[in-house]
Amino acid sequence: MSLTTPARSRALAAGLLALVLTASTACAADEPGTTGGGSIKIGLLASLSGTYQSVGKEIRDGFELYLDTHDGKLGGRQVDLVVADEGNGAATAVPAATKLLKQDRVAALTGIVGGGSVAGVYPLLQETKVPLVGSNGRPEIKDVSRVWHTSYLSDEPGAAIAQHVRDNVKGSVYAIGPDYQGGWDELRGFTEAFAKAGGTLANPDGKTTFTPFPATTNFTPYFARIKASGAQAVYTFYAGSAAVDFVKQYAQSEIKDIPLYAAGFLTEGGVLNAQGEAARDIFSVLNYSPDLDNAENRGFVAAWKAKHDGSPTTYALASYDAAAVLDRAIGAAGDDPTPEAINAQIGKLGQIASPRGAWQFSTVTHSPVQKWYLRQVRQDGRALSNTVVGDLATIGR
Amino acid sequence: MIAVAAGPNRIDPYVIPALDGVAYGLLVFVAAAGLVFCFGVANILNLAHGMLYAIGGYTAAAVLDGSWASLALALGVGVLAAAAAGVLLAGLLTPVATGNHLTQALLTFGVALAGGSLLVAGFGPDDPQVLVPAALDGSVQVAGHRYAAYRLVFIVVATALAAGLYLTVRRTRAGMLVRAAVDDPEMVACLGVSPTRIRVGVLAAGGALAGAAGVLGAPIIGPGADTADTVLLLSLVVVVLGGLGSMVGTLLAALAIGEIQTLGVALLPSAAPFLLFAAMAAVLAVRARGLALRWAAT
Repeated sequence: MSLTTPARSRALAAGLLALVLTASTACAADEPGTTGGGSIKIGLLASLSGTYQSVGKEIRDGFELYLDTHDGKLGGRQVDLVVADEGNGAATAVPAATKLLKQDRVAALTGIVGGGSVAGVYPLLQETKVPLVGSNGRPEIKDVSRVWHTSYLSDEPGAAIAQHVRDNVKGSVYAIGPDYQGGWDELRGFTEAFAKAGGTLANPDGKTTFTPFPATTNFTPYFARIKASGAQAVYTFYAGSAAVDFVKQYAQSEIKDIPLYAAGFLTEGGVLNAQGEAARDIFSVLNYSPDLDNAENRGFVAAWKAKHDGSPTTYALASYDAAAVLDRAIGAAGDDPTPEAINAQIGKLGQIASPRGAWQFSTVTHSPVQKWYLRQVRQDGRALSNTVVGDLATIGR
Repeated sequence: MIAVAAGPNRIDPYVIPALDGVAYGLLVFVAAAGLVFCFGVANILNLAHGMLYAIGGYTAAAVLDGSWASLALALGVGVLAAAAAGVLLAGLLTPVATGNHLTQALLTFGVALAGGSLLVAGFGPDDPQVLVPAALDGSVQVAGHRYAAYRLVFIVVATALAAGLYLTVRRTRAGMLVRAAVDDPEMVACLGVSPTRIRVGVLAAGGALAGAAGVLGAPIIGPGADTADTVLLLSLVVVVLGGLGSMVGTLLAALAIGEIQTLGVALLPSAAPFLLFAAMAAVLAVRARGLALRWAAT
C-alpha cells in the first residue's frame, strides 16, 4: 500500500470535508434548542439496539406516550423529539450524544439506560451546558448541577425493603447478586440497611455472595450453598437474562420454599413473561407498580395499554415523568427556554404529580424523594403480574 | 461417632451440584458435539455453531405450549431448521478449501453475527418463555434433595443421544465415509462419493445436532440474545479440553466443564469467575503438544 493517497480521492475527501464544514456552520447559526415557530428540540438517548434494547424501547415509548397524550407539546411548545441510539454503553452513547448536543443542539437531553453511558456523556453536558433529565441509569456524579434523574439511586430499593424483611423473616437472610457495579450497589443498599435494622446475613462469611456476571447461567451450586446456610429468606437483585435463569432455577431447586425477596427488576417487564409460573409469589420492592390506585396512574396505564401489549414498567414510567418534568420546566422558563433557563426551572419544581404517587427532586442528589412499594407476583386475569401488597419506606437524600 | 456423623453432612450439600454437573455437562456435550464433529472429523471450523443452537432454542420457545405433542413437533422443526442452516453454511463454504481455518472462521463468524441479529429481530430482544410439559416442569426428590425433573430426564435423553452419535460415526457406512473422506478424499471420490456431498452432509448433521441440543436444552440454557455466544464459547472450551481425537475425549471434557461450573463453583465460590479458564489453561499447558500433533496431522 502506498503512503500517498491518489489525487482523485484526496480531492473527494477535501470536497466532503468542505460539505461537512458548511453543514455544521449552518447548524451553528441556529439558536440552541429552538427551531422557530415556538417549538423546542429535545434529545432522547436510549438503547434501541444491543443488550438493553427492551429497556431502551420502554424509555422511548414512555416519553412518546406523554407527548401523544399532551398534543405533542411540552410547556406549550411543539416538541421536535430527536431520538438517538445509545447502543450497549459509553462507546456508542458518546458519539450519539455528541450529535444530539452539538449538531442538533437540543435544549435538553433525556433517557440513557446505562450508568456507564451517563458517565461518558457527562463531560459533554458540562461543555454544552445542556441539562440531562435522565430516566434510568445513574452513576456516581460529583457535580449534579445539570443532571437530574426521575428514576432512583441503585442502593435505594434494597434500603427501602430491609426493615420489612427484618420484621417478617424469623432468622437469617442470604444475600446474593451479580458481580458488577449495579449488583454491588443494589446489594449494599440492602445489607447496610438490614444490618442497621439488626438483621443477620446467612452467608457463611457474613458478606454478600456475588456471582460472575454475565457468565453465570447455572445457579444450582449457589442454591446448594443457600440450603446449607440455613437461611430463612433470600434477598437478590438480577435483571435481564440472569433474572430469568435465577427465577426459573430457583422454582425447581431445593430452596424453592424459602421466601424470595428482590429488587423489583427481578420480575419487571419482559422477564416476567419468560419466567412464567416460576415467578409466582416472589416479593419485590420498586417505586412503581401498574396497579397503583391513583388518578394519574389509571390514565397512564389506560393510555399505555391502548398502544402497547402488556402493562407499563418502571422504565416507561420514569421516562413519562421525565417528559412531565420538562413540560413544567419549559413552561416556567418563559419566552426564551434556553438550556440554562430550563435547568434553573427544574430546580424549582417542588412536588411532581406522577402515576407512582407525588414525588420531588432531592436537592442533594437530584434524584427522586419517593415512596417504595412492596409487590408480589400474583395472578391478574390470565397473566401473572406484580401486585402492590403494601407501602415501604419513603427514601431520598 | 461425631466424625462418622460429620461424613455424610460434609458431602450432603454437594450431592445436587454434582448431579447437576452431569446434566449440565451432557448438555454441553450435545451442544458441542456438532462443532467437534465438523471440526475434528471433517476439518471444517464452524463458528456459527452457537447460532445453530439458538435456532433450536428459539424454535422450542415458539412451538412449545406445554404439551408432549408440541415437544415432538419442536424437536422435529428445530432439527430441520438448524440442519437447513447447516446446508446453507456448506453452500457458503463451497469456495473455501477444506482446512483453511482462518477463512472458514471469518466467514462463519460473519454468518453468526448476521444470523444472531436476525434471530433477535425476529423473536424480539426479551428472552422468550419456554413451556415444557407439566410433568417435567416440577421438581423431584433425589437422595433427600429436590432437583429439577426436566434435568433428570435430560440426563437420560442426552446419554441416549451420545450413544447413538457414537454408534453412527463408528459403525454406519455414512460415518465410515466421513472418516475416510478426511484421511483420503481422492480415494473416497474414486469410490463414487462426492466430497462436496460429504461436506454438505457433515454440516447438516452438525446443524441437526445443534438444533436438537437447542430444543432439548432450551429449559437449561434458554434462547436469548447471548445464547449463541455462550454455546460457542463452551463448545470451543470443549475442543481445547477434549481435543479432536475421540468422542470419548469430547464427552469427558464436556462432563468436566459441567462439574467445574457446578461442583467447582459450590466448593470454591470465590474462584467462580476463572475456574473454567484456569482448567483450560492447565490442560493447554500440559497437553498442548498432543493437540498440536493432532492438528498438524489433519
